[in-house]
Amino acid sequence: MATQTHGSGAVTAVMMAGLAGLVISLAIAFTNLVSGGHSAFNTGSDGVSWGLPVVNYVFFALTSTGLTLVASVAMTFGNKAWYPIAKRCVWLSLVTLVAGFASLAMELGHPFRMLWAIPLNAQLVSQLNWMGIFYAVFLVLGILKFMRIHGGDWNSSGSKQIGLAALVTELLAGGMLGMAFGAMAMRPMWYGNLVPLYFILTAACTGGAFAVLVTCLSYGGPDNMPEPVRKLMQGSLPMAFAALLGLTILVIGYRTVIGLWSNADGLQVWDAVVASPWYWVEAALLIGAFFLLLQRKALAVAAVMVIGGFFIDRYDFVIGGQLLPLFKGSWVPDLIAYTPSTTEWMLTLLAFSIAFFGWALGEKMLKLDAAPQD
Amino acid sequence: MAKWGMVIDLEKCTGCQACSTACQMENSRLPGENYQDVLYYTEGRQPTPQLKWFPRPCMHCEEPSCMHVCPTKATYKTEDGVVLIDWDKCIGCKYCMIACPYGVRFYTDEKALIEPNIKQVFKGDGDLSWNPPYKGPQQDPKHGVGIQPNGVVSKCNFCYHKISKAPKGTADLDESNPELVEYVPACVRTCAPKARYFGDLDNPNSQVSRLISDKQGTRLLDHTGNKPQVYYLTGGGAAAAAVPGTRANKKA
Repeated sequence: MATQTHGSGAVTAVMMAGLAGLVISLAIAFTNLVSGGHSAFNTGSDGVSWGLPVVNYVFFALTSTGLTLVASVAMTFGNKAWYPIAKRCVWLSLVTLVAGFASLAMELGHPFRMLWAIPLNAQLVSQLNWMGIFYAVFLVLGILKFMRIHGGDWNSSGSKQIGLAALVTELLAGGMLGMAFGAMAMRPMWYGNLVPLYFILTAACTGGAFAVLVTCLSYGGPDNMPEPVRKLMQGSLPMAFAALLGLTILVIGYRTVIGLWSNADGLQVWDAVVASPWYWVEAALLIGAFFLLLQRKALAVAAVMVIGGFFIDRYDFVIGGQLLPLFKGSWVPDLIAYTPSTTEWMLTLLAFSIAFFGWALGEKMLKLDAAPQD
Repeated sequence: MAKWGMVIDLEKCTGCQACSTACQMENSRLPGENYQDVLYYTEGRQPTPQLKWFPRPCMHCEEPSCMHVCPTKATYKTEDGVVLIDWDKCIGCKYCMIACPYGVRFYTDEKALIEPNIKQVFKGDGDLSWNPPYKGPQQDPKHGVGIQPNGVVSKCNFCYHKISKAPKGTADLDESNPELVEYVPACVRTCAPKARYFGDLDNPNSQVSRLISDKQGTRLLDHTGNKPQVYYLTGGGAAAAAVPGTRANKKA
């Protein structure tokens, strides 16, 4: 399969916007963090400990997992029709993981200490320890895999084994991230042994959304797409994406109803979640995107809707689980008030800027539309 | 080796907060970030609402979830049963704050809980979060003792700088014993109504063990499985004090 020309005006525009976002967000976030430390965040010991920067991390780390899943359809599971987007997904999975790490690093008290403290003192029963290990291993495997396919080695035994190892590592990492929340029995909104599965399912949705969006942006629309790409984008991809999204919408609905129905102390957060207009914005975005995908129309719009919807979902999940004060919750029904600060929003901008600038840079320089010749 | 634990008699506690103040001074705590806090709340509705209070240190659990989640083993349990934080290993991920069911941990590098922000008045030297006009124990970051550095999490350490120096084999650290008074945790030593007891939970003859046994000591949020080493005595009868969240288990 021949590689296509690339570098549409949209890619250039995204790259410039990403660069601008990178400069602005770094300037503001660094200034505020250097001058005020983490008091620049609206998190607190008597309130929400994990704020918007952790939401960003969860969103982008799981998107990375999802992109690896999308790439694996062709590279691991052998569906050749999906090859035209595989290299792009591998690259984007690396970039989105870096975006997530960047937001998390700004949130940690001692990000550089982490580099030696975790390897030297690894707590084997800590989910965060294993999550860090799996994502770090994936980063190495992902880079190796990308180097292989960038050099044209798509199907050698070594290349396939690296790809399979990368996929398994990403699934373990995403699942471990789910366990980090799901194991918290003291926080009923998070607690549950199916949370890792929920994370991987939703990861596939955001991964699919990013894959569709950047593919559309790469070619500037279906008319400019080469035949194999157009066939994929008008055929199995939106259908698979719709099926996945439909299933996820059902799961979100079930979670909501269970949360509202149960009297368990701690689940009253769901009343607040559903009372928020943002929950209904999420519902409208996801359901709207589902119907667009079914009709194979406006795929880029559908992808943006899915990204927006799941960002709200991650926010509701991470923040919602902390809104009911622990311990005090047994007699104080009030919820903690939390609104992200400007600095926290800048880290969101930073993460999105890294993701899109990194993708556009790859699109310009690394021939992300390449696919195997046979 | 002792397994240190605390008993708090809620029927004696008057909610005076002397324990909080003593702890704050002893451990160089910032206002509002008390290792040992007294929580106030109301129960019932008009016309018969009741003001209640509840003293709450770190529970120094037998199965501390905060320790299990810590990716760097910065939170650890000593041989004598005390849960401590090694500030030199803490990366400030705050997962322990998420996992602690009792809300007893503090990350100081954020907005002041009580204004004005006294950290701006007494600015810390080097990495320390502030420079209090009064000084507690010597800085011992390996045991989470002293002035809290920036970027790490802190919590009650049972005044480890005191209790770790107690003579071996001591059953109870009783503030009324002149030979032991310097080893008694600040909150226990200062408690005017003598509502607090501190001793070896593994010693069946210690006063704490006997109180727990004789008066049916109960633990906070016992259903979480963390198995606190802080026990509460609630007494009995209709007007008895209550342990929030475990009221169903209270003796009738």
